[in-house]
Amino acid sequence: MPEAHIAGIGTHPLGTHDVPERDLATHVTRQASADAGVPLSDIDGVYMPKPRPWTKQKFFSTAFVGYLGLDVTQNLEIYTGGTSGGKAMHSAVADVRSGRLDTALVLAVERDSVVETERYFEYIVSIFDREFGSPFGPSVPGVYAQSLRRYMYEYDVDREDVASIVVKNRENGATTPEGLFDSSTDVESVLGSDVIADPLRLYECPALCDGAAAIVLTSDPVGPRVTGIGHHHPPSHLSGVPDTSMATLPAVGPSVDEAVSDAGTAIEAVDVLEPYAPFPHIEAILTEELGLFERGEGAAACARGETRPDGRIPVSPSGGCIGRGHPAMVTPLLNYVGAVRQIRGTASTQVPDVETVLTTSEHGHVDGMTTTIIEATST
Amino acid sequence: MTDHESGDDTTTDGAEWYTKRFWDALRSGTFLLGSCDTCQDAHFPPAPVCPHCGADADTTAAEGTGTLYSFSRQHRTAPAFDSPITIGTVELAEGPRVLMRIQGAYESLEIGKEVEILVTEYREDYDRGPLSGYPMFAARPE
Repeated sequence: MPEAHIAGIGTHPLGTHDVPERDLATHVTRQASADAGVPLSDIDGVYMPKPRPWTKQKFFSTAFVGYLGLDVTQNLEIYTGGTSGGKAMHSAVADVRSGRLDTALVLAVERDSVVETERYFEYIVSIFDREFGSPFGPSVPGVYAQSLRRYMYEYDVDREDVASIVVKNRENGATTPEGLFDSSTDVESVLGSDVIADPLRLYECPALCDGAAAIVLTSDPVGPRVTGIGHHHPPSHLSGVPDTSMATLPAVGPSVDEAVSDAGTAIEAVDVLEPYAPFPHIEAILTEELGLFERGEGAAACARGETRPDGRIPVSPSGGCIGRGHPAMVTPLLNYVGAVRQIRGTASTQVPDVETVLTTSEHGHVDGMTTTIIEATST
Repeated sequence: MTDHESGDDTTTDGAEWYTKRFWDALRSGTFLLGSCDTCQDAHFPPAPVCPHCGADADTTAAEGTGTLYSFSRQHRTAPAFDSPITIGTVELAEGPRVLMRIQGAYESLEIGKEVEILVTEYREDYDRGPLSGYPMFAARPE
C-alpha cells in the first residue's frame, strides 16, 4: 500500500489581508508546490475545508481548479467546523494510500476580516441547535467557559495554572513565521484582560484572523509520512456528552487510539503535540485524556514547565490556536506545518530530535476530533 | 395500513416535526422530556428514537426542577440579544442536561445550586421561524 508523504508546505502570515481568498490560496499552493518540487500539473486531487459562509466565492474548489488549470481525479470541500481541515487531510491521505491518486493538494483559506463582528456572532448563534440552543444567544467562549468552570470545580484547578498555558503558547508563537503576535505575555496580564465569558478572559480566547496554508501530499517517499489517522465523535453537540463530565473530552481517546493503531506506534513514542486547543483548559484536559498527566493535573504540569519546548512532552511549540492566531479552517493545516517543521528541524521553536508528532483538530466543544500522526521517514 | 396512514406520530415512513409537541406542551406549562420504555433513560430534546438505545421513544412530563451543572456570563453575542447574559447547563431531576438562560444575580450562582424551570415569554429579536410566538424556558435559582 502506498504511504502518504508530506512533500511540501506553504503558508502565509496570519493577519488582515486585502488579497482575495483565491489569490491567497494560489500563493500558498505555489509555495507548497515549489517546496515539494512538484509542478502544479502533477496535482490530481484538491482537498479543502469548505471556506467560511461569508466567503463570497462559492464552489471554491471548482473555481480554483478551473483558474489554475488543474486536472484532478477528486476535489472535495468539507465543512464540519474546526475539524474540516483535519478531515480534508484525512481524505487526501486515504486517497493516496488507496492508490486512487498520487499527488494531493490539501488547501485551506479563511478571511475573518471580511465579516462584521455582529454577523460573525449571528453565525455562531446559528451553529447551536436551532430550536433549543440558538434562541438563548449562546457563544463559543460561553460554552468553553462552562467546561472551564467544571474543570476548576471538579479538580480544584488553580486559575493561574490555566493562564500559564496561554503564557507558554504565546511565548512559543512569538517567533512562528505565521504568528499573529510578536511578544509573549504573563499570567497577571492574562487574568487581567477583559472578561469575555466568565471565567474566560480575552487572552485565553483565540484571535480570529486571515490566513492560508497548503500541503502537497505524495505517494513518493519524500518528506515526513502521515502514518496514522483517526476520528471520533461521541453523541454531543456543543453541550457535552450525556452522563459524562464536561471536564473530560470523550472524543479524544477513541480518536487517538485509532490513529495510534493505524500508525502501529504508541503514545509514548510521540515527541511533540501540536493540538487544536482553542482555550487553555482544553489543552490541559487533552493532555490528561492522552494519559500524559493525571486528571486535573494538566494545567499544573504546564505551570511546572513539563509541556514547554524543553519539557517532558512539548505541547504547541508553534503556539497553537492561542499563541499563533486562529483562522479555524486553516488551523489544522498550520498544525501539520508545525509538525513538518519539527521533523525537518526548521521550526522557530525547535524541539531537539523530533521523529513523531501528533496533531489534532476539533469541532464544537471538542464534540468531534481528528488525530494525525506524522513521522520522520527513515533514510 | 402503514403507521403514517394510521396517524401514528411515531411513524418511520413519514417525516414530521417531532419536537413541535415540546413547544405545544411548553405553551401549556409542561416541560416534556423524551422517555424510553426499553432502557428507562430520559433524554432531551425529545426525539422519536431513544438516543441511548435506539428503541422507539415516547415523551414524559418533567418535574421541572434540577441543579446548576455549570454556567457562564457572556459579555457579547449576536445583536439580537442584550449583554451580558447568563447561560448555563441545568441537570434536570430526571437526568438530562439542558442549556438555558439562568435568572438571578450572577454573583449568587454556584455549581450545584437547585433551580426551578420556568416557562418564559420570548422577547429577543431573534428569528425563531415557525416557533415565533412560542414561549421559551429558563432556570430560576430556588
